[in-house]
Formats: sequence, structure tokens, C-alpha cells
Amino acid sequence: MSNTLRLYLACIRNTLDAALCLQNFPCQEVERHNKPEVELKTSPELLLNPILICRNEAEKCLIETSINSLRISLKVKQADELENILTKKFLRFLSMRAEAFQVLRRKPVQGYDISFLITNYHCEEMQKHKLIDFIVQFMEDIDKEISELKMSVNTRGRLVATEFLKQFV
Amino acid sequence: MEMVKAISLDVVEIVQPAKEGYQLTLRLNLSKIPRGKDSMKVISEISTVQATILSSQLKEMLWTVNSEDTFQGMCKPIKLVYHPRETFYVIKQPLKIAAVFPMRFKEHSDVIIATAFLQELTDVGSSKKWAKVPPCCWAPIPPPELRGEPFEDLSTNGGFVTFDIYPRHIEGKRLDKTVWSLLNFYAYVKYHVKCTKGFIQRRMRKRLESLVETLQGPNFGEDEQTEKVQGNARCSCVGKSVQLPKFKMLKRKYGDFTRKIKKLRFRIKIHGFRRFRQRWLTIPKFSSSMGYTKLD
Repeated sequence: MSNTLRLYLACIRNTLDAALCLQNFPCQEVERHNKPEVELKTSPELLLNPILICRNEAEKCLIETSINSLRISLKVKQADELENILTKKFLRFLSMRAEAFQVLRRKPVQGYDISFLITNYHCEEMQKHKLIDFIVQFMEDIDKEISELKMSVNTRGRLVATEFLKQFV
Repeated sequence: MEMVKAISLDVVEIVQPAKEGYQLTLRLNLSKIPRGKDSMKVISEISTVQATILSSQLKEMLWTVNSEDTFQGMCKPIKLVYHPRETFYVIKQPLKIAAVFPMRFKEHSDVIIATAFLQELTDVGSSKKWAKVPPCCWAPIPPPELRGEPFEDLSTNGGFVTFDIYPRHIEGKRLDKTVWSLLNFYAYVKYHVKCTKGFIQRRMRKRLESLVETLQGPNFGEDEQTEKVQGNARCSCVGKSVQLPKFKMLKRKYGDFTRKIKKLRFRIKIHGFRRFRQRWLTIPKFSSSMGYTKLD
């Protein structure tokens, strides 16, 4: 792992560790309703300042926190067209299977590639440090997977091209 | 026609005139197809009739590379249409023939995958190892030879691939191979794109499983704790069983004794022994003072 990536991930980990102190908080507007305040944004006093962590222009992470929920949005780097379509395909594939992840949002926040929504219930069901581990692991895995996929596609292309040219010999 | 006649005059007969709307009609006499190995040969020859007819046009064009004609300047490109969306051009040039394929794809992702493949094809083709194969190049803009062609034919999203065919590429049996490869180039690229998409899908599915496993980790942590608690509870049960009251100990002891008696099997049946055993050799059940009695 490169030094800049390590620092970027460490920063996200520390920020999440500080931000993930959620508690149950019923909706102030509707009785007997309990909604993630970070999504509804009904009462400004329940929201904290959003934190934007950038590695570079193409890679950034937005952490929005409220009293009972936290939303983390990621923008994954896309160096060229191939990485762009691979990232889009992969993240769309994951978003369509969001129910398997519990904390994954079906639609990313505008300007980002993928978003997670963690509520106080998730923190109660799962352990906080493991949730943070998952988010950081997820970011590492996505980067790794996309570079591996790109390499595989290029390698396959080269092999197929070689097979095609063999026909002329 | 010559090729059809060469198969076997008894088996295949050319119907004159051809059926309306078709260029060629063949009548097959199935009873005269020879048996054994020859049958497969004849059947495969009949099945390749269409491919041979379609490739004959390109074959004839490639043959002219060897012709002694001297060209002053370049010839006009010849457009070959085997499929409405898959047209390609053959341009005769001094000492070589250029086959230009305009690449069109429906989806943007297909364009990207195909472009990556075509760039690899150009790289591999330009290496020294593959000096014998026709040089190929890929460009996003149409080659200058195609100037003057209709705009619709030159508007592509995947660029243009050009193969330069020299006389050495059509010597002897190579001609058939070259014609086959050029005619199937579109299908080859499209099949590669399709397979690559399938490969990406498989990889993503596999990765999804591993990511989900990572997330389920926190639950596993909780499970370990609960298991520990359950394990301790089981241990405490065992501990308690060591300190059983005397009554229960006695009951267990006599239970074993009665079970042993019950296991005995007499081959000779004694009339009334069963009732005797039930009455005298069973231990009466004691009702506990703590027990629950159903009230009527």
C-alpha cells in the first residue's frame, strides 16, 4: 500500500471513530417515527458539520454525521476510460445488492460513486470498530479489485489478439 | 458453381432457375450420400457452400494483389456488405491491399473494451515476433484512403482498423485463412467483448461474496461471545449434575437395573409373566413434591 493511501485511510478511520457515536433519537416532527436525521435534515441542531477528506481531486470521502446516523460517501479514482467503466459497473453491481451489506445505500450521494448509511441500530447490532474496519477494508478492496480487473481485461485482450494473429500464420 | 459441381453431381443438383428471391437453389439427393467417412466430407462440403460463395468476392480481390498491373495512384475503395451494420472496405494499393473495418458498437462499455483489445492487437501485431502476419493499425479517425465516402459509413464510435495484405499473405493455403480471418473479424471482436463482460461479471460476483464475509465479521464476534456464554451455561449444568440429591441418584441406579431386566428376552413365553414383570419388577414412579399436577 502506498504511503499516501495509508495516510488517507488512517484519516478516514480516525474520523469515523470520532463520528460514530450515535444514539437513538426519535423524529422531532412526527410522533412515533424514528428516521435517520442525516438523510432528512429536518432539524439543523441535530446535524454536525460534514467532513471532506481528499486524497486528490479524483479520490475523496465525505462524512456527514447527525445524532442518530452517519452517511459516508466515496469517490473512487478513475484514471482512464476502462477504469471508469469498470468502477461504474462494479459499484452499480454492489449497489443493486445493497441488502447484503445492510449499511450500503442504494443510490450514491450526487458527485460520489458509492454511499453508506450507518444508523444507531447498526451500531447496536454490530461492533463499532468492526464497522469501521469494514469501511476501510471496502475502500482498499475496491481499489485493488479495479486495478486487478483492468489488468485482467488487458491481459485477456493481448491473449485474444495473439490468437487472432495466429490464424494468419 | 464449379465448387458445387465438384462436390458430387449425384448428390447436389443446381436448380435452374433459382427459387424466387434467392440467387442459388440446390436440390440434394440424400439417398446418394455415400456412407462412412465420405459422408461427413460431402456434408461438410455442402455446408460450406454459402461461406465459399460469400468469400469468393474477397478472394478474387485478394488474388489481384499478385497481378502485374501497375497502379498510378490509388484505386477507389470497394465497399463489401455482408451485414448491414458490418460493412468494410477493400482498397487496392501498389503491392498491397488494405482492408479497413469501421468499428461500431451499441454500448459505451463495449466501445471501451473493444478499444482496449484493438490497441493490444496493434501492439502485438507490430512486435517483431509477428512480423509475418498482416500489419494492422487502429485509429479513431478514418484513414485518408476513405475520403469521399458517405458520412454515415465513416461515422463510428470504435475507430477504424486497417489490415495491410501483402502477396506473401495469400500464398497457397494462406489465402483461405486470410479470407476467413478478415470475414470473421467483426464476429471475433464482438465475441471477445461479450466474453470479457461475462468475465467481469464473474469476478464481481466472487468479490461480492468476499466483501459480504468481511461485513459479517462483527456478527461473528457477537456469536463468539454468545457461544462462550452458552458454553459456560452447559458447564454449570454439568457441575450441578455432580451434586444431585440422593433421591435422584437412587432413581438413576434402579433405572439402570430395570433397563437390564427389560433387555432380557425369554424364548419361552410364560403365560402371565408380562403382567408379573410389570407388577413386581418395575419401580413405582414417585411424584415429586415440587412436581406439577394437572387439576381437573
